[in-house]
Amino acid sequence: MDHRSAPWNAVRVAWRITKLNFRAQLEYRAEFLLMIAIGAIWQVSVIVFATVLLTRFSGMGGWDSADVLLIAAMRMMAHGLFVLFLGRMHALAYRVQEGVIDAFLLRPMPVHRQVQLSFFPTNAIGDLTVAVALFIGALVRSSQEWTAGRIAFLIAGVLGGMLVEAALFTAMGSASLRYPAAQYWSRWLEELLGTFGSYPLNVLPKALSWLLTFGLPLAFVAYFPAGVLTGHGSALGVPMWLAAASPLIGLGLYLLSRLLWSWSLKHYTGVNG
Amino acid sequence: MSGDTRITGDIQVRALTKTFRTTTRRPGALGTLRSLVNPLWVTKTAVEDVTFSVAPGELLALLGPNGAGKSTTIKMLTGILVPTAGEVSVAGVVPYRERERNARNIGAVFGQRTQLWWDLPARESFAILRDIYGVPDAEHKARLREFDDLLELSSFWDTRVRHLSLGQRVRCDLAAALLHDPPVVFLDEPTIGMDVVVKEQVRGFLKHQVEERGRTVLLTTHDMTEVSRLAERVVLINDGRLVMDGTLEEIKRKFGDTWLVRATLADPEAAVSALPGIAVLQREGPRVVFGPEGSHAPTVHQALKQVIERYEVSDIALEEADLEDVMRAAYQGAALEASDVLEESAVRGGAGS
Repeated sequence: MDHRSAPWNAVRVAWRITKLNFRAQLEYRAEFLLMIAIGAIWQVSVIVFATVLLTRFSGMGGWDSADVLLIAAMRMMAHGLFVLFLGRMHALAYRVQEGVIDAFLLRPMPVHRQVQLSFFPTNAIGDLTVAVALFIGALVRSSQEWTAGRIAFLIAGVLGGMLVEAALFTAMGSASLRYPAAQYWSRWLEELLGTFGSYPLNVLPKALSWLLTFGLPLAFVAYFPAGVLTGHGSALGVPMWLAAASPLIGLGLYLLSRLLWSWSLKHYTGVNG
Repeated sequence: MSGDTRITGDIQVRALTKTFRTTTRRPGALGTLRSLVNPLWVTKTAVEDVTFSVAPGELLALLGPNGAGKSTTIKMLTGILVPTAGEVSVAGVVPYRERERNARNIGAVFGQRTQLWWDLPARESFAILRDIYGVPDAEHKARLREFDDLLELSSFWDTRVRHLSLGQRVRCDLAAALLHDPPVVFLDEPTIGMDVVVKEQVRGFLKHQVEERGRTVLLTTHDMTEVSRLAERVVLINDGRLVMDGTLEEIKRKFGDTWLVRATLADPEAAVSALPGIAVLQREGPRVVFGPEGSHAPTVHQALKQVIERYEVSDIALEEADLEDVMRAAYQGAALEASDVLEESAVRGGAGS
């Protein structure tokens, strides 16, 4: 028998597991609907923010309301995709305590993939529903001319944002393999991304804005890509090329986080360690 | 079907050692504060210099008290943990260097934890595992039929794992661990918490897997009935060190000279004193209990002869240790041996400093 993990076979197995997990979630109807609802309600602060922005203010920090809405929409779409595809790292500390990681290490499949396939993230349906609505609203209100190049950068920006968030939580997951307290840091990080991710960061004090760019690369999730798209490139506080490279930086950060994950897994000490 | 052929794989363990580095708190409130800024690191040795092997088609019981290092050893053999030192080979593969390749050669059941998908019916988990391991569909179906015959799985395999009883769940875990036909199987307390009927069924299944299918099995358990039914060879570890590697008979010979002779003396006032290698453990009027003393204690039958020759008795009864008693003696003996070694090394260390 050929045991080489052909990419096609890997995709087929992943798809099959996802379908079964989704079907399993559907069987608990009330829980399924509650999960979708919580996914949407979780984003209520962004919805309130967008509503207030559009009805009460003409803009923020030199950005008009349609451009700010694009930051919020890109950030939320990136977040929804992250939750759907790469977001199972939150409860990893519990999985370590339950010995689930031990079980993953016994199967001939990468552990990271098994973590991602461990359950279907029903709440992502709620997240993405709100994100798509916000995204359509932002594009309709936008005065930009949506050329093929801009659309390509928009998509790359959203995917890059997803990867930045995935990189941050993969790093947190790596820490969770050894330190159970890392889960609290994960919650704090989620709060932070939700709170500051939808604003133009130039409204914040310079030190905080710098920290959210180079300390915690939140600016690369949506602020920089949206800035490039809406012509605020020269006022972002970083060279234009750096802001334009946001999707690549997202990819680079994600690859680095996966290296950290592999290193952490090699030094995994298990439940009793 | 390939399932009809015997499959082979061995386990080789040489000088296996695993240490964990962790911090410890200094005593007192000030010590606690000091430990926050200047942590005190300690190295804890979970497994030390353990060497043994398991031949293809052999079932070996790895025994020891709680915290002896059994699970840590199994985790290193399955590729979950990387050893600090030593060498391991499982069916020709070094588990921690080639984790995924090793995973294809082994099956593992940890009795206290499931490896099945919690929200899916067990049969769906089996199907996922078939895809992960790339088992051809016909082979998968044939193997499921075989396991169903032995473990009666079909009455509950369409139930979600979260709704299964412990016995049902572990039987499904056993099937899941063997669906890809691994030559080597690791079982960490597989029958813990099961009722006697299911335990017997699982033992029968394991016996079949070793004797008929030629699988190599490494079993840890605290159930001595299981050991006596399944294992011919036993490796005993304590405090992370290998204490003994031998057959059950050898262990009984080394640690099982535990017996009691209960005698009722014809003369209740008769003076009673110890005999060579025999101690008086208890006396209540005419009733006296004798037991072995020292390392040169006689066998129970020699002791019986000595007691009868020395005293006039109106009634006499023998009690020999069962395997539980033997293992208790073995664990205690092993603990004493370990503390002797520690004391000796402390004395050596003290003399040298």
